[in-house]
Amino acid sequence: MIEAFLLAMRQLRTKKVRTLLILLGISVGVAAVVGVTSLGEGIRVNAVGEIEKSHDLTLIEVSPGVSNGNIILITESKVRAVSEYGSVVAPYTKDDYVTLNKTYFKANGISAQYMDAKDLKLEAGMWLEEGTYQIVLGSDIGEKFSKIEGAEIGNTIDARIRLYGEEGRATDKDITFMIVGRLKPTGTDTDDQAFMDMNIARELTGKDVYDGIMVKLDKSSQTPAARTAIEKLGLTCYSAQDEIDSVNRIMNAVTLVLAFFSSISLIVGGLMIINTMIVSVYERTHEIGITKAIGASELDIIRMFLSECIIIGVLGGILGDLLGVMFSFLIDSVGRPMLVAQLGIADFEHLTVINIQILAAGFLISLVISVIAGIYPAWRAAKLDPVKALRQL
Amino acid sequence: MVKTRGLSKYYTFGSGNQVVALKGVNLTVANGEFVSIMGPSGSGKSTLLNIVGCLDKPTAGDVYIDDVKIDYGNAGNLVQLHRQTMGFVFQGFNLISTMNAIENVWYPMYFNKVPKPERIKRAEELLESVGLRDRTLHLPSELSGGEQQRVSIARALANRPRLILADEPTGNIDSRTGKKIIDLMKKLNKEQGITFIVTTHDKAMANNADRVITITDGEIVD
Repeated sequence: MIEAFLLAMRQLRTKKVRTLLILLGISVGVAAVVGVTSLGEGIRVNAVGEIEKSHDLTLIEVSPGVSNGNIILITESKVRAVSEYGSVVAPYTKDDYVTLNKTYFKANGISAQYMDAKDLKLEAGMWLEEGTYQIVLGSDIGEKFSKIEGAEIGNTIDARIRLYGEEGRATDKDITFMIVGRLKPTGTDTDDQAFMDMNIARELTGKDVYDGIMVKLDKSSQTPAARTAIEKLGLTCYSAQDEIDSVNRIMNAVTLVLAFFSSISLIVGGLMIINTMIVSVYERTHEIGITKAIGASELDIIRMFLSECIIIGVLGGILGDLLGVMFSFLIDSVGRPMLVAQLGIADFEHLTVINIQILAAGFLISLVISVIAGIYPAWRAAKLDPVKALRQL
Repeated sequence: MVKTRGLSKYYTFGSGNQVVALKGVNLTVANGEFVSIMGPSGSGKSTLLNIVGCLDKPTAGDVYIDDVKIDYGNAGNLVQLHRQTMGFVFQGFNLISTMNAIENVWYPMYFNKVPKPERIKRAEELLESVGLRDRTLHLPSELSGGEQQRVSIARALANRPRLILADEPTGNIDSRTGKKIIDLMKKLNKEQGITFIVTTHDKAMANNADRVITITDGEIVD
């Protein structure tokens, strides 16, 4: 087999220019696919990186679930069941309040564990004291209060909550909160929330269930298993992994479409190989006749031509990968500053990402196309009539 | 060694015209015989050789090699005959132009799956025996006609065939060189008992044969 390749190699060497042109043809196609795929992969990696930066992957947010049309509420027993799966398990309540100036805000009734789980950090002021009507504000809502209500840390603010009785009748309750602290901005919905003591919140609303649970794990690798277990309890889970998954799904689809269009150039490369091989069979008709007369089987002839195609595929794949890396580098060095300047998005390290899978795919595509393109010419060579072939000079 | 029974070959052209190349040829060649086939151009002698050599199929009739009928529909069978039983020598030498002398000689052994060291050793010996030890690395274009024909004889011998089919082996070379080729073939016939069927126009060749068969219009005349 090795010898078949050596003989094929020699055959290709005798037609250097032609071989070089085919190699270029196929490798340009491979380079286009590799470059475009690296762009798709780069965008995906950057998007996932952004999500990972702003989200905690070890956190699962549990909310009430729906099963067979019934709402599964988060009761004390559910909290106890969930607490088996996380290192920190913090149930909380969430209610809508409105100030007298009609500023709506959400207040979460939380415990100390919640602060741990969400890793909340104060920017100013201090933490709320349990059993009091003190609140800590997220950065956005804090700014809103300061601008609209003129309420700063240390001030009180009057708010109203609307409660619905069992018959659906609404009653309003007025509360006066004391603002004691403001959180650092996080870029998440925490910025729009206010935080108060959970027991006070439940006392105000009279709720005997929770609106959610924050489950914090030690390692992000534990997230999927914990999540599956909690979902088995009938509750709904959300984690940053959901967003990563959806980014991956979208980008895979986009990359696939882009790669499909760029692979049109591969078809051209494949046709070039078919054409060149047919010409080569024609030129070597006489030689094929001799080869058959001295004992080559049809399979030997097919092997002879396919070996040449495999060599073209391998070399084309390597060259294509090299050109693809260069193409990818070009996209990165030209495209990145342009995107940063035009979209004004924060600078990121690379626009394109090359990984071993992309290179392996490029290599394989080249090999497969070369071999497929060689099948018909090889078959034609094998089927040549030796008498006619020998007569041709 | 070779026996043909009622061997016929017709060529039908697209226009519907039919040309008869062989007409019911019955020929028997004994083991170790040196047979010359003579006849004018187009008499069908090359066709006969091609059919016996399994490069072409007969329209009717059978060919037996060692009393075994050749199954022309069985490609594997034909390949085995090419690899083990017969060797070819052509008028136009038919060496592969991109391969040097020794490579041309070991090429049939390559298809016969002979290991490389053994192959090279035998090719060297064969080139030695045809007097071309010092030409092993020359390309066909660097050899004279006589030298090329000797390389092609060495190639025909590669797989130790018992039958060599030669189509006008001296047709493209001068008579003095042709004499050497004839002597070489005779020597192989005598010393190794290889059966030769040789088509020729060359009187010298015919004179050296054990038997001369003349074909005219696809039929054996005598």
